[in-house]
Amino acid sequence: MLIQMLRRDFRRKKSISIALFIFISISALLVASGSNMLMELTQSLNALFKQSKAPHFVQMHAGELNEAEVQKFASAHDLVEDYQVAAMVNVDGSHLYLKQDGESEEQSVMDHYFVMQNESFDLLLDTGNKPVRVERGEIAVPVYYKQQSNVSIGDTIKLSDGAFEREWTVAGYVRDAQMNASIVHSKRFVLHPSDWAALSQRTGEMEYLIEFRLKDQGMLQQFRSDYQAASMPSKGPSVDESLFKALNALTDGILAAVIILVSLLLSLVAILCLRYTLIAAMEEDYREIGIMKAIGIRPKTIKNMYLLKYSALAVLAAIIGYAASWGVNALFTSNMELYLGSAPRSLPLLAVPLIASALVCAIVIGCCKLTLRAFDRVSAVEALRAGTLGEARSSGKAPALHRSRWMPVPVFLGMRDVLSRFKMYRLLLVVFIISTCIMIVPVNLLNTFKSPSFNTYMGIERSDLRIDMQYSEQVTEEFMRVSQTLTNDADVERFSPIFASAFQYVNSDGAMEEMAVETGDFSLFPLEYAQGRAPVEENEIALSYLNGKDMGKKVGDRIRLHVDGTEKEMTVTGIYQDVTNGGRTAKAVLPFLPDQVIRYEVSVDLKEGVPVRDKMEQYAKSFYPAKVTDLEGYLSQTLGNTIHQLRLLTAVAVIVAILIAILITALFLQMAVAKDAAQIAIMRSIGFSLPAIRIQYVTRALLVLGIGILFGTIVSNTAGQSLAGLILSFIGASSIKFVINPVQAYAGLPLVLMAAVAVTTLLSIASIKKTTITEWNAG
Amino acid sequence: MEVLLESRALSKTFTSGNEQEYQVLKAIDLQIRKGEFVAVMGPSGSGKSTLLYNISGMDQASGGSVKFGGMELTGMSEQELSDLRLTRMGFIFQQIHLLKNLTLLDNIILTAYMAKKQSRKGLNDRAMSLMKQSGIEGLANHDITQASGGQLQRVAICRALINQPDMIFGDEPTGALNSKSAGEIMELLADINRSGTTILLVTHDVKVAAKTDRILFMMDGSLVDENRLGKYRKELDDLRAREEKLTGWLAGLGF
Repeated sequence: MLIQMLRRDFRRKKSISIALFIFISISALLVASGSNMLMELTQSLNALFKQSKAPHFVQMHAGELNEAEVQKFASAHDLVEDYQVAAMVNVDGSHLYLKQDGESEEQSVMDHYFVMQNESFDLLLDTGNKPVRVERGEIAVPVYYKQQSNVSIGDTIKLSDGAFEREWTVAGYVRDAQMNASIVHSKRFVLHPSDWAALSQRTGEMEYLIEFRLKDQGMLQQFRSDYQAASMPSKGPSVDESLFKALNALTDGILAAVIILVSLLLSLVAILCLRYTLIAAMEEDYREIGIMKAIGIRPKTIKNMYLLKYSALAVLAAIIGYAASWGVNALFTSNMELYLGSAPRSLPLLAVPLIASALVCAIVIGCCKLTLRAFDRVSAVEALRAGTLGEARSSGKAPALHRSRWMPVPVFLGMRDVLSRFKMYRLLLVVFIISTCIMIVPVNLLNTFKSPSFNTYMGIERSDLRIDMQYSEQVTEEFMRVSQTLTNDADVERFSPIFASAFQYVNSDGAMEEMAVETGDFSLFPLEYAQGRAPVEENEIALSYLNGKDMGKKVGDRIRLHVDGTEKEMTVTGIYQDVTNGGRTAKAVLPFLPDQVIRYEVSVDLKEGVPVRDKMEQYAKSFYPAKVTDLEGYLSQTLGNTIHQLRLLTAVAVIVAILIAILITALFLQMAVAKDAAQIAIMRSIGFSLPAIRIQYVTRALLVLGIGILFGTIVSNTAGQSLAGLILSFIGASSIKFVINPVQAYAGLPLVLMAAVAVTTLLSIASIKKTTITEWNAG
Repeated sequence: MEVLLESRALSKTFTSGNEQEYQVLKAIDLQIRKGEFVAVMGPSGSGKSTLLYNISGMDQASGGSVKFGGMELTGMSEQELSDLRLTRMGFIFQQIHLLKNLTLLDNIILTAYMAKKQSRKGLNDRAMSLMKQSGIEGLANHDITQASGGQLQRVAICRALINQPDMIFGDEPTGALNSKSAGEIMELLADINRSGTTILLVTHDVKVAAKTDRILFMMDGSLVDENRLGKYRKELDDLRAREEKLTGWLAGLGF
């Protein structure tokens, strides 16, 4: 009898067994790929940092540099293992032609630095992770441009500022541990030393990277304080290795996290499917189980029979999923390989994905065991008498037909069935909720990233145009000129300058540390604050989320800031989100001290009807070398790579969600139709037409889907939003609010899902045509 | 009297798993007139139920023709046959066949709401009055698990009557009931027939058949004989005498 039951179970459950197999396989595949991605990310990042000998502390400096003074500091400091000053020529985008169509990089938000290969550390690597070497007349371009602008080997890169003109042939790509990521607005191009020397004398602004490798990285904070306390050159941001790593890992790290999340959701679907299958099997075998119990067969034997079948299925599926992950890993890691290189093969790289797949398998088997506990509740007498497990018993609370005044009977029956047998529809509902989440969360996240209001998370105010001026000898004069022009321009509605200056503050250990503080009138272009408000008074300061977290400060706390030689006690009035400048910025209303300004930003709103693009081009010419961008352009260039990856993921997620919904709907309805055969036969015999019965099933599926979409949307916009916020908090955006495209999220996607489910329903219940009372009575 | 249902050379063939053909109905010629109460009897496997399903359009005949109310059933679409069953025919089965998740009242009004001949309020009232006539008015909001077999069969009869059909088909309607319930159900059906509804039922039971006007006897897929007992009048006729007459006739046929 046992073997007979098992054989029958397999025969009857052929399609669901296959579906379970597929789910567990895909789940194992995704969890293996996701964990492989995380492992590769860690390992290739470490390999890149090792090969390039990335500096531990870097101070960017624009302006005059007293190298002897830096050398003196470095040789006297105990922590310094090695140091170097890397000179860079900052070439204005309007003079640089990367694309072959003759368009310059004028619109680019990137700073283009032309450099020579460093000798001892901070090596710029080629795609084989070897230090890049170029001959005269050749250039190596950042991998960013290979991906974004399709710059190929053999292309010609032109530089022309009117007086100086030079062309180089692209000989390779640069992997740059410091400036790889698209979110970093600086990119390094490598030239032959003699070409670089010629260039540096003729064009561009000279800037420096003052770089240190330390003997003990744990003492980085101490070193940073010492550097600042020694009044070393600091006209520019200072960055460290942990920030480089975080920025490098950002895009692929998010992708890996999302893949693992999708895999967990799929595991959940597989577990629910398994539970439903087991309950259905138990329902059908209830009488046999009762008989076996009655004649003294131990329930454990019966339980083990099912457990064996589904464990074998789970193990096989997990093995296949893991094996298949080898095939798809390349797809997920291609971006990472381009930017970071491939990780060296190692035991953890093989073992971790295997363990992750095994874990999925173990969870499935564990849940199978839990479900099978229901066997213990089967009483022999009850089973023989009732013949039902009670899982799908009517709830009796559903509305009565005779009270319905207008609803068409098939729709009513469909609806009533869902309400009266809700337990049976739970699986379908959970799957629909999951499908909706899988679809909506990435779509909303993508829309949030694409939205112009993403500025909220970048610490920048919303404006038509943005003018950026980096430090140079003439920056203050240039700023005055820009200010004057904007004041006199009748097309300008309003503008607000912000100056970023480096200030020292007393940290929690009592030591002095430096921090970039933006000063200006924050009321003209207000920024949305995560907590609190913008600073208004002179003793008020707002911190970026990561800055606040690092400093352990919240709204209402105090900070001791050194302003123009005197210590001021500032109160934190607000926390805002910022993913730029390493996520560590501050805003305060402080006096304008031109000597300390490291950069100027001007937000400009134009009068209505003034074409933004034309104005942007006009300003870009007249305000040269300041960088003029519209907000959308700024965001798309900064987040372009992330948006590109996210778009890919969203497309995959939408397809996966629809496929899950289709698959489960098909399986569920096939089982439901088999279960309802008698009822269908009765309805047909008393005059229900096939369309009338089909409407009932479509109503059931769409009603459950409707509830699923409703809950799925709520879950996506609450838990999904929090989850996205949690992932993004690592880069400085703590409380993401989804920007929802209502047409897409509330109409388009639900309609696509509904259409898919409705069509699937109609196809899955095709067998009702064969269900007649004659067959039923005969059978 | 006008002919309501007529079959000519009606045949039905089934193909078994090993491709062998079995002819279950063999060239059946049959006429049922309006207002008649007809029983089909015969041994198990003689094709009684198959005949009922084929002449009611529930199953497709392999050959011959069936006319109902002047309309040819063979060649009708699935939808047309459904409409016909819904609006002009009523069915009662041995296994009762009510829908599980509905109350007894809802089971009765179901087809009426589908047919939309009257307002829903009017249909509810009609259903209640049918339940009252059948002595089950107190069970309107009961679940099908809360009624006895006899009570459920009365519900099935109410369901069959709700759309005021021209004809009711019964497949062993008393087969699953005890003799008391079976007797009551037959009284109810006789009343319904007296009010003008044509009834054809399949039965094994002489007591059931004795209350009908005409009894057809089937054997091996053919109608071999018939017995016209005439309309049963409860007050005037001796039911036992009808039963005995029928038993003798059946014995002569080897039943």
